[in-house]
Amino acid sequence: MILLQSHSRFLLQTLLNRVQNLDKAVELDYHWVEFDDVRYHILVSMKNTNVLLLSVSLPIPPPEAVFMGGLPFGAIEAIKAAYGVVVQILDPPRDGFNLTLKLNLAKLPPDEEHRYALLVKIASVREVVLGAPLRVVLKHLASRTVVPDVDRFLALVHRPKESFFLVPQPDKVTVVFPMRFKDSIDTALATSFLQEAPAEALSANAGFVSFVIFPRHVEGKKLDRTVWNLSTFHAYVSYHVKALDRAKPGGEEKKKSPNSRSFKRLSLKEARANSIS
Amino acid sequence: MDPTSRPAVVIDNGTGYTKMGFAGNVEPCFILPSAVAVNESFLNQSRTSSSKANWLAQHSAGVMADLDFFVGEEALAKSRSSNTYNLSYPIKHGQVDNWDAMERYWQQCIFNYLRCDPEDHYFLLTESPLTAPESREYTGEIMFETFNVPGLYIAVNSVLALAAGYTTSKCEMTGVVVDVGDGATHVVPVADGYVIGSSIKSIPIAGKDVTLFIQQLMRERGEHVPPEDSFEVARKVKEMHCYTCSDIVKEFNKHDKEPAKYIKQWRGIKPKTGAPYSCDIGYERFLGPEVFFNPEIYSSDFTTPLPAVIDKCIQSAPIDTRRALYKNIVLSGGSTMFKDFGRRLQRDLKKIVDTRVLASEARLGGEIKSQPVEVNVVSHPIQRFAVWFGGSVLASTPEFFAPVGLEIEEFCAMTFHS
Repeated sequence: MILLQSHSRFLLQTLLNRVQNLDKAVELDYHWVEFDDVRYHILVSMKNTNVLLLSVSLPIPPPEAVFMGGLPFGAIEAIKAAYGVVVQILDPPRDGFNLTLKLNLAKLPPDEEHRYALLVKIASVREVVLGAPLRVVLKHLASRTVVPDVDRFLALVHRPKESFFLVPQPDKVTVVFPMRFKDSIDTALATSFLQEAPAEALSANAGFVSFVIFPRHVEGKKLDRTVWNLSTFHAYVSYHVKALDRAKPGGEEKKKSPNSRSFKRLSLKEARANSIS
Repeated sequence: MDPTSRPAVVIDNGTGYTKMGFAGNVEPCFILPSAVAVNESFLNQSRTSSSKANWLAQHSAGVMADLDFFVGEEALAKSRSSNTYNLSYPIKHGQVDNWDAMERYWQQCIFNYLRCDPEDHYFLLTESPLTAPESREYTGEIMFETFNVPGLYIAVNSVLALAAGYTTSKCEMTGVVVDVGDGATHVVPVADGYVIGSSIKSIPIAGKDVTLFIQQLMRERGEHVPPEDSFEVARKVKEMHCYTCSDIVKEFNKHDKEPAKYIKQWRGIKPKTGAPYSCDIGYERFLGPEVFFNPEIYSSDFTTPLPAVIDKCIQSAPIDTRRALYKNIVLSGGSTMFKDFGRRLQRDLKKIVDTRVLASEARLGGEIKSQPVEVNVVSHPIQRFAVWFGGSVLASTPEFFAPVGLEIEEFCAMTFHS
């Protein structure tokens, strides 16, 4: 697994399970949290088992990011465009959430393939909502125009109280990520992994990463992938940093089964050699 | 951001299946086979070329090997369809056996299944009461150093199984947990939340042995199951059709009188040729679970029935706890899910207890009457993931975060700086 998938695995599993057993009345009440503090809640009541309430809470936006009615701009339009008649947006959303969707499972397309595609799309709700502003900007890029009424740059939330920045221009969009890590080893690994570490680290201890997106990156079907990859860039990096943590040379011999064998105590010299390597 | 504001991640790694999810929920998000399939071809490359100039190539080969692997159902499917992936089960008999595979497994659980950032959540993991402290230390090392979890609690699975009853009735933390998983069976007495370590009894018969026994019975009868599939078929037969009978002889007679009612059919497709096949499922339906009550039909090494082991376990516990222990015998683990398993256990155990009471009364010449001993085997619908549910309940109490935070620091100090 190199890239994270855009849909929530558990949400898709639950939706598929529900659709396959529509005739069975079950009660469902489930809370869970994904990376970047996106929280979900599913509710199905015994009264009407065709209806599933899906609530999503987004990371708390930093002051510079633009939110309208608790959602990033363009989100409502994006939801309507992606889901059509199956989904109804409840106003106000459930307490503690930014968005509550009322899914009517009886209105799903009868065709197996379409239905599956739509369920995957519903399970990717965080991409649709959080990626909405990015999508608007990149769509303009595809037609080589600039979003009206936008300052020189645009801040978009991607993690709690952290944003990344867009500089839209007619022929290209520059995306800038400040990289922050809590753990010092992770910071060091991320810097070497990203091969780019400017000395002046402002609020970003692992430097900045910038991408320049050209119209050819957002043609047709590429748009969805570009939006998802950019909006989960931080999770992508931290996942690989963890994988690199594991891949440290010499790690292999160390991790042996402790069963039936006591620990090998390192001498001071060995310990020092290990910490350098 | 404060990790205590988010639900803790609860992962119960079993020999057969891993149960994982978020605290505060009734069910785990995922129940996955505890299996890892690793592409070993990268690793072999890096071993053969060991010159220093090749360091970068080796390094990236290592990174690739570290990313190219699958867990759970996907691992089973990969290893079946391709020769480059090696399947391994990181947990054997309830103990972690392969730490490298285990770390990969956790990595996938966290990032790919639960899709959460381990730095954002407290973690609750489980261990068996017989786990060595070294193993706990390894687990802690991986969790803190690789995943940077803010806090970790490693709970004893039997205690969690008892805690699973916490919400349904009163808070009863004294009882005997009969934990029959895929790889290990333990009988663990717990008094006021503390395991009575010296009285723990283990049995070398668990879920996997039931599967092996069913496989053997079907093979001996000459059912046409493709050999490469026979273990999986036996497992499915066990999960779907097995039940506990009250008396083997009567059950044989019932099957012989009404074969149409009792003999089931198994339909499958041969993995190599794709041709469909079918076979009968007969006596193994009740003989499978019978290995717990009459182990001599399966193994000649171990012949003590499970009810007798439970009785021995309680008899070896402190005398003032015994009545309470007999009163609350809790089942946990997937292999206690056979229909009427609890009822049979209760009946057999009651018989043992009553015989002893009668004998002692007879010895005393009938002058002293003892109070009857109450034997109660508790089964509940969530037995399969009772341990996980107990963890979910424990990790959603406010006490979980507060005092445990301190303990974790002690735990670190204990394990890493000594």
